[in-house]
Amino acid sequence: MDRTYLVENYKEMGLYDDIDKNIDVLKTLLDKSSDVIFREFRIGEKKVKGFLVCVDGLVDKALINNNIMEPITLESRKLDNNYLSKKNVYESLLNYFITTADIKEVEKFGDVVESILSGDTPVFVDGVDKSIVISTRGWEQRSVSESTTEAVVRGPKEAFVETLRVNTSMLRRRIKNPNFVIESLKIGKYTKTDVAVAYIKDVAKDEVVEEVKKRLSKIDMDGIIDSGYLEEMIEDNPFSPFPQIEHSERPDKIAAELLEGRVAIISDGSPEVLVVPTIFVQFFQSAEDYYERYYISTLFRVLRLAAMLMSLTLPSIYVAAVTYHQEMIPSPLAISIAAQREGVPFTTLMEAFLMEFFFEILREAGIRLPMQVGQAVSIVGALVIGQAAVQAGLVSAATVIVVALTGIASFSIPAFNIAITFRLLRFAMLLVGGTLGFFGIIMALMMILAHLASLESFGVPYLSPIAPSNTRELNDVFIRIPWWAKIFRPHKVAGRNVKRQNYTRG
Amino acid sequence: MKRVLILFVILSLLLTGCWDKREINELAFVQGIGMDIDKDKMCNITVQVLKPANLATSSGGGGGGAAAGKPYEVYSSRGVDFAKAFSNFNTELSRTLFLQHNEIIFIGENLARSGIYSMLDFVTRNPEFRRTSYLVVVSGGTLDDLMKLSKSVEKYPYREILGMIQNQKNTSSAYVCDINHFVETLETEKVQPIVGRLEIVKKDGEPQHARFVGAAAFKYDKMVGLLSEQETKGIMWMDNLIKNTSLVIDKGPKGDKTHISFTIIKANSSITPKVNGEDVSFDVKINFDSNMIEQNSRYALTDLKMIKGLEDLQQEKVKGEVLDALNAVQKKYKVDSVGFGQKLQEKYPKVWEKLKDRWDETYPNVKVNVSVKATLKRSGLTSKPIEPR
Repeated sequence: MDRTYLVENYKEMGLYDDIDKNIDVLKTLLDKSSDVIFREFRIGEKKVKGFLVCVDGLVDKALINNNIMEPITLESRKLDNNYLSKKNVYESLLNYFITTADIKEVEKFGDVVESILSGDTPVFVDGVDKSIVISTRGWEQRSVSESTTEAVVRGPKEAFVETLRVNTSMLRRRIKNPNFVIESLKIGKYTKTDVAVAYIKDVAKDEVVEEVKKRLSKIDMDGIIDSGYLEEMIEDNPFSPFPQIEHSERPDKIAAELLEGRVAIISDGSPEVLVVPTIFVQFFQSAEDYYERYYISTLFRVLRLAAMLMSLTLPSIYVAAVTYHQEMIPSPLAISIAAQREGVPFTTLMEAFLMEFFFEILREAGIRLPMQVGQAVSIVGALVIGQAAVQAGLVSAATVIVVALTGIASFSIPAFNIAITFRLLRFAMLLVGGTLGFFGIIMALMMILAHLASLESFGVPYLSPIAPSNTRELNDVFIRIPWWAKIFRPHKVAGRNVKRQNYTRG
Repeated sequence: MKRVLILFVILSLLLTGCWDKREINELAFVQGIGMDIDKDKMCNITVQVLKPANLATSSGGGGGGAAAGKPYEVYSSRGVDFAKAFSNFNTELSRTLFLQHNEIIFIGENLARSGIYSMLDFVTRNPEFRRTSYLVVVSGGTLDDLMKLSKSVEKYPYREILGMIQNQKNTSSAYVCDINHFVETLETEKVQPIVGRLEIVKKDGEPQHARFVGAAAFKYDKMVGLLSEQETKGIMWMDNLIKNTSLVIDKGPKGDKTHISFTIIKANSSITPKVNGEDVSFDVKINFDSNMIEQNSRYALTDLKMIKGLEDLQQEKVKGEVLDALNAVQKKYKVDSVGFGQKLQEKYPKVWEKLKDRWDETYPNVKVNVSVKATLKRSGLTSKPIEPR
């Protein structure tokens, strides 16, 4: 058969009732790949021709051997010839022989090929223009392990893995309600990535669910490798430096957000699950906040917000104060800074900029480098940003302290994606602070704030419930009220079904 | 086109930014500026400029092995007016003078006596001066003496004096006045300013140390006389400025000669004007609570009579201080430092309208009735004195 013709048309082609033709088509399409297994066999005494195709490595071989091959080849012989006539071989296979739960019938080559490449196994029988596709998916996968990017002291440790089904199972295990819906679709011309949209039907807003599905269905890409692709394709304001969709690899966190009425987007091959709509304060909430005592969580939340401000503005405030507003520094400190700067060759702005720059290089190197050379890099890094640089007279000690504090502050923000946004903005702030002083810093902060206030995520204002303000919902922003007092879900997100619980403390 | 324009505006904003930038290590931190005039009516400014490198305590920080030496340097400059004198510093200094960390302005006695108006004008016009800087009149020595004092707990004389001023809160032995306060009183017609006084103590003609004690009474912008510690305290009693001070009486309730010390823990006072026809008089009422902190005679404070006696003695003492003060400002210098006129205007504006032109003549003869009420609260840890057997 002509391969180019097949490649263009196989999707719409129906199966032939001549099994040899079917084999021919599939072999032409798939034979170049060494991992595709074609297995021909005979069924029963009448020796009806049959065959199956599967991809080595994607299928559970034991399942194929025990539940498909064994009944078809061995058990069928034991049967009465009349019972297993040539005519009803197909029906018998479907109804009696194949001993797996998940099977379906397909009639088009497109479906057959797709199922093969997804790890399912189609079985053909001579004389029938249909095929039984048996779910035999079973590939090597990473076992569920502890979350590395969102570690907690208290709370569940398990994290999502790269397999969609495992991920959905972790969610389903937490929310045992028929209203918890997991809808799936395939995205990507080549990758055909399974993407699941999960939500709780009577809690999530219908409009949001529809909007998510609409935006996802509009995506027409080559492929989706990670949920990061999806995030960029569906977020509201693609030019904003701020992330407008939260992601998490913690099933407990995703389940909690589903209960608040949000919609999760799970993409096969990515351990990060997206949640919409997302508001700004979510990035400063850690899963642990809800498990630890509420006083402590409240303290940590305020701490994180302070750290956020610090990571954004500390170097710029330092530079502005030292080069423009020396009168604002307490006298002893001003004198001490002046003493430290004696003999430093760079201007304060340059100094801070260089140190921040080096710090970012170190951080980047720390993430990328192989573990074996980690120690060497951290030692060299400590020398570069540290006492050695001060003693060499390259930078002043105060700048080192400021840069170090800023770095630490930015690491204390739970969500890495917003922490790096602030890192990016910090450089802009540094430039404005070093050229326009406090005036510039205030201007830049106002611009950032105005931008934040203008953002939206799937119909919910990004800064809500701070702006537009909703005093009732502020109970989960700067403070974390105890669970027994948390009667309502966020209104802006949940829409109609806002009541979470009655006030019934044990 | 519009975008290009916006971009241009933003970029030009950034480019204009750096014009007033100055690195912190290119500044000459002034801590202590003194102003005076000399015999030729030339204006003198003396500044104490810090050398931060010599101040840094940490070893190795900064340049490493900073040469030990005085952490400050004193510069003087002359000019026909203060602005000229100030700009003359540029000819001998490598860095620009930075005044915003300066919290004290020292006024030489010559300048104070001849009027500090020109100095005030210069200081309040220049944005670099803090309006909250303390004004201090220096008596008993020159400004140069003051700036080079050797005896000091702190690293440089200015710190020492700033410490004294702040310490005043605990002793109420001198009057603290800042530029704001001075200008404010100068601008109200009813009150005359008082400025704290720094006395340089000399030994064999060499300045040893300074004492922040007493005050200088001003008539408008001219100093008319110095007030002793007692007199200053008296004014502060009337002005309701005493917060915490000590009080020593030199006789016991039985008339014996001894010393008993008290510490004032709470005090308040009020001045009430009284008008009787053309006659104006003032009632000064002072209430205070005190604790006994030391005594030489063996008084048992369990005796109520004794307590009463001690309270009476305290009242007498404070009344004496207040009368001393009144004598000095009312009779001797004839300046209304406490603001009797203001009190009169507040309560009897019509009377004041009639009197205000003649106030300068009326004031020295106005009758002031002083009444003091003392309460002895506690006697420390001892209620019965130690009895040696």
